Amino acid sequence: MRFKASIQNISTFTKLTASLNSLGPLAWVKLSDDQVCFTIIPEQGTQVWAVLSIDTIFETYTVQSAANNVINLEVPLTSLNRALKSATNATSAQIRLTKKDNMPLLALTIVTASSSNSYSAFPTTSSGIDGGFGATPSEEFGANNRETIITQEIPVRVLAPDTVAGLHEPQCREPDVHIILPPLLQLKSVSDRFTKLALVGAKSGPGTVTSRTRLEMAANMHGCLKMAMKTDSMNISSVWTDLSNPELDPSQVAGGEIGISEHPSTRMKELGTADGRSEEGWATVRIDARDWGKVMSVGRLGGRVIACFCDEHALILYVYLPSDNGEDESVLTYYVSSYSA
Amino acid sequence: MDEEEERPVLTAVSSSARQLYLLLRCINFSDKVHVQITSSGLKFFVDEASVMEGSAFLDKSLFTTYTFHPPPLPVQEQNDSDSENELDPPDPNPVFQISLPSLLETLQILGLTDPNNNKPPWARDNPSSTAFSNNVLGMNNMCRISYTGFGAPLSIILTESTIRTTCDLTTYEPEFADEIPFDRQSLAFKTIMRGSWLSDAISELASTSPERLSLVAKMNKGKPFFALAASGDLGSASVAFNNNPTSSTRAPPPTHRGASPDADASTPANVLETFQLSDPDTPLRCTYKFALIQKAARAMSIATKVSVRTDIQGVLSLQFMIETEGAKVSFVDFRFVPLVEDDEGEGDTYLANDNEEDEDANGVDSATEDES
Repeated sequence: MRFKASIQNISTFTKLTASLNSLGPLAWVKLSDDQVCFTIIPEQGTQVWAVLSIDTIFETYTVQSAANNVINLEVPLTSLNRALKSATNATSAQIRLTKKDNMPLLALTIVTASSSNSYSAFPTTSSGIDGGFGATPSEEFGANNRETIITQEIPVRVLAPDTVAGLHEPQCREPDVHIILPPLLQLKSVSDRFTKLALVGAKSGPGTVTSRTRLEMAANMHGCLKMAMKTDSMNISSVWTDLSNPELDPSQVAGGEIGISEHPSTRMKELGTADGRSEEGWATVRIDARDWGKVMSVGRLGGRVIACFCDEHALILYVYLPSDNGEDESVLTYYVSSYSA
Repeated sequence: MDEEEERPVLTAVSSSARQLYLLLRCINFSDKVHVQITSSGLKFFVDEASVMEGSAFLDKSLFTTYTFHPPPLPVQEQNDSDSENELDPPDPNPVFQISLPSLLETLQILGLTDPNNNKPPWARDNPSSTAFSNNVLGMNNMCRISYTGFGAPLSIILTESTIRTTCDLTTYEPEFADEIPFDRQSLAFKTIMRGSWLSDAISELASTSPERLSLVAKMNKGKPFFALAASGDLGSASVAFNNNPTSSTRAPPPTHRGASPDADASTPANVLETFQLSDPDTPLRCTYKFALIQKAARAMSIATKVSVRTDIQGVLSLQFMIETEGAKVSFVDFRFVPLVEDDEGEGDTYLANDNEEDEDANGVDSATEDES
């Protein structure tokens, strides 16, 4: 069982682990020949199934195992994220699976150019304070090119193929509405304000403090997204208009053209209006506001997000990470389930 | 009954939710705020245990559109209830309560969503900005307040580019608390000063977390003398405001409007713009709860001027003049019920001591004494 790769996109990897970590402490990482999968299945809340193409984060990638060159690991995300943070200014970083005292671990080797080493605090010319030493260190060793090597070790658990065989992506019926979300950071700032309002409402209300705030998210097939919340003292809703509802690709829908004409979203197109004032045509889900805030943290990766609304059932977010070559995009799938009330 | 009258009672549009927010934040010390809609503007008032009240008036000039249709008198409703006689001349101006923190949070939603706000103008990337985009046309950040009638929520609609936020604030029955009576006809004392000076004085005094704040006003050798004295468990402190004596040796307070230090007492360099004592021979002393006065701190810090008045019963009125965008002037008022003085002796010593100390002091002077 061998895994070795150099990390080509440290900042993306760091942001990815940070936003996954907000949803759960442990990730199931599946390494295979052509893709890397990160899966978070918390006890409660949103599941993430991320499928990344190799070159989204890695290059010179090798994986070998007895089980079809697939390696399944359980990785503590906090440690991985912390290790990656120390690689922020690295010139290169490598990650490999190794063993120490029979404990499997991921070793992250970080190489940093030490232009910021202690010598550069002094003038590099031979005048001034270090003139007395004859040749300056930079002349002797080429100090500007000195390298520092840091190795971070992250203990992991190797999962047997049987262990993960029973894990499947949640099944969901065809969505009623699919829509491209506005920038997640914008969405997050509004939902954070809503959460704050709920706290204000709870404080002024008599006694009963609702620890769980429900956000009502809804969208229609005319480019509108609605976020709403009710408290004793107020009802508040924000409506985004002029968003776009991507067209379905007949080759991707079961039944092709006929499948599309029978697709729930085709029916939803006939209802509702583009100004978001109509009561009809909305697919609605009720979600936990705190959980939603965590999901929104993926906004830092800056991808395009398509939300699929299954009315009263679930909200699925597809977060497409920007890639250089435009092909085989990496996608993070978030399954947010709807509460009944 | 709402169907009879199609016109909403109030429709007001403001291009600056921030302006409204800044004014209403001054009275943010209660969960609920009373709102009264009148033809000249919106009056917001809050009340704390009937010993303090604060009110902010949003004049209709703060809005670009302000339409008020007095609601039809709810004849039907009132005849059924037994309160018919009490409300004989019914007030045509609707009054109700709403949640103040919710209102303030809502007004802040605007601008939050624009990620460009934190950047300087040249660094903003706004590909959608054309000659017709909302922010160029000044259509951005519109705030519309409407109220359709009794029992309906107060709706606030905020529009920002393609996002429209609607907030329906539940309206509650007013509590009909009586206003704190303040007799403008029989003032015991009145002075006008800059808001920031009062703000500085209060925040200075707050450092000893005092319980009581006394207001002392008298004529000191023909010169006006006004002091704020705070006392509590940790000690006492006072800040005195004196108008420039002619024999000035020390520079007057640092923040006045560019007047030279030796300007004579009649110039605006005076700390106290107006000083009126109904009885110049007797020093005036009124005591209030410090924590209550402190609730007006936000208003003090942004006010241009403050008028400090007490009536003969000792009720304190602080009226703040606040300049908002476009040099419009708004007023925020506070009233405080005085504490009953039970420690006359202590007060007298304070006055006696100060008479000596403040002989040659001018401007803002603060003295701290320990109560050991």
